Amino acid sequence: MIYSSAILEEILRFANPTETVWITSKSKGIAKELALAFVMTPRFISKTPINNPTNIIDGWSWQDYTLEKLVRIYIVCLLSEKDGLDQLNLLFDTAEINEAVALHSAMPALKNPTQFLLRATDAVRSNMGSVFESIAFENPYPSLYFSELAWNQMVLKCIFNDKAIHRIYDLENRSNQALADTLSDFAHERWAAGRRVPSQVWRLVPKFMNENLLTDINKLAQSDNPRDVLAAQLVNKEIAQPGSTKGQWKELELPEPIYQA
Amino acid sequence: MCQNPHQKEMNPSHFEGSTEEKETATVVDHDFMSYTQGMKFFDPHMHMSSRTTDDYQALADAGVVALIEPAFWLGQPRTGLASFKDYFSSLVGWERFRSSQFGIKHYCTIGLNSREANNEALAEQVMEILPLFLQKEGVVGVGEIGFDDQTAAEEKYYRAQLEMAKEMNLPVQVHTPHRDKKKGTERSMAIALEHGLDPKMVIIDHNNEETVKSVLDQGFYAAFTIYPFTKMGNERMVEIVKEYGPTRIMVNSAADWGISDPLAIPKTAALMKIKGIDVETIRQVTYQNALDAFAQSGQINEGDFIHGLEIDQSQKFNGNTVLRGGQAPRINKNSMIIR
Repeated sequence: MIYSSAILEEILRFANPTETVWITSKSKGIAKELALAFVMTPRFISKTPINNPTNIIDGWSWQDYTLEKLVRIYIVCLLSEKDGLDQLNLLFDTAEINEAVALHSAMPALKNPTQFLLRATDAVRSNMGSVFESIAFENPYPSLYFSELAWNQMVLKCIFNDKAIHRIYDLENRSNQALADTLSDFAHERWAAGRRVPSQVWRLVPKFMNENLLTDINKLAQSDNPRDVLAAQLVNKEIAQPGSTKGQWKELELPEPIYQA
Repeated sequence: MCQNPHQKEMNPSHFEGSTEEKETATVVDHDFMSYTQGMKFFDPHMHMSSRTTDDYQALADAGVVALIEPAFWLGQPRTGLASFKDYFSSLVGWERFRSSQFGIKHYCTIGLNSREANNEALAEQVMEILPLFLQKEGVVGVGEIGFDDQTAAEEKYYRAQLEMAKEMNLPVQVHTPHRDKKKGTERSMAIALEHGLDPKMVIIDHNNEETVKSVLDQGFYAAFTIYPFTKMGNERMVEIVKEYGPTRIMVNSAADWGISDPLAIPKTAALMKIKGIDVETIRQVTYQNALDAFAQSGQINEGDFIHGLEIDQSQKFNGNTVLRGGQAPRINKNSMIIR
């Protein structure tokens, strides 16, 4: 699938005439010139917000993108379509933070996306917050290409770092028994340390209940924290009638302090 | 960048001079922040890769809002291109991120340092990858480059990098040698002029009383590294500012892997205040001049940090990284209990 033309169409909605000239001239370059254009984009393209963005791939949201980021993604797509793999690898290896974010955000639209799998799982290992988020959030690449092990690692790291898991695309569809069990272990560790896990993470367990998880949900139901009580109610409701809690977790999709009050 | 192995005394304060001055120094060492309330600092030369999170926290507390990390030698020579590439990447990646966690804006300069210029086979490869890094966002110059031993190889790569800086319209941060400093400094400036660089695009670093006049007279920026033992003490710095005024003078700390003090700028500002230098002059030599010099790269937007770095929620509150899952962003250093 070739996505660069659809991305360009969106870019042209926001670019001013000078920017359009720059983009058009750079897009004709060979791989090495494209790579340099990628690096130099912020010198020529503004950080205009992309308002009301178009959606070209399910789960790939440009909601918080800027024009400069989208232009970088366009250039990365051109590079992959023109078989500029060496230059793409060089860009990955030398990326500064904003470049790394653009590279990982572009992954679902790249030609032969699976050849970037190791790059994607490395981004999950990254301790730079925005780099981790660029692969984990508003990005369908993990859902499409990650193994169960890689998927679980991403979700757990997200929870471990108190990031909002609802921003992971396809979260409920890819939930699994191993993840639910590890989540229970993790919650026990946090509880032992006098800390907590954000209430919304329990949305991952209803399909995979066992004795341990039942005990956890009962414990939540008796918590002093109304958010935990609500989470327990939603889990029980979902168990009784699968699909019935759709949209109801929204209330818990907020940042939560992890220390017990 | 070097320590004096013959110096047997305890690590002294930055201050040198008379008994009276030493007394002032004790006051400043203990309570320098009471003199710098409301001041903001820009340190144009800090090797933060050698520094801990304690230092970042202390810098933020002392009013340092932005800094520049020049690429340099790591204390021992690198043996391959990959280690250079990873080092440059860390200056625009991990270190930039680490700094942002403490609300400090991190810029860098990229270059092949003088010591490693002497390994010509490797130097050739490094020169190949420099342009890619020099074009990156937040890279505010070519640096630190110049002379160490003053060899032919050092001169060759100094000249080649001056050409790069000219072509890309970037400022140059020039390291001057520890040994034979005066001649080395003169030679560095003469070569920059020979290559047609505008002296206001060149920051001559590690100055002292012997070099400053010529640097300023020829129109270059003069940077001073406050560094115990081998470079400048800050008592001497105060005298230089009294003599030459603030124009094109800037102070920095180096803050490298040697015995150096990342708080050298705020401490020097406090000392200047005690010694009667006016606040505007202090502001120029500890903030504005460095900003003006490196903003010529087009890569610095003061609005990004002057009112405090806007700490992206994705980077801070929702945790990660330096602040691993479950950590509060600040810790009380005096508390015995670690939660």
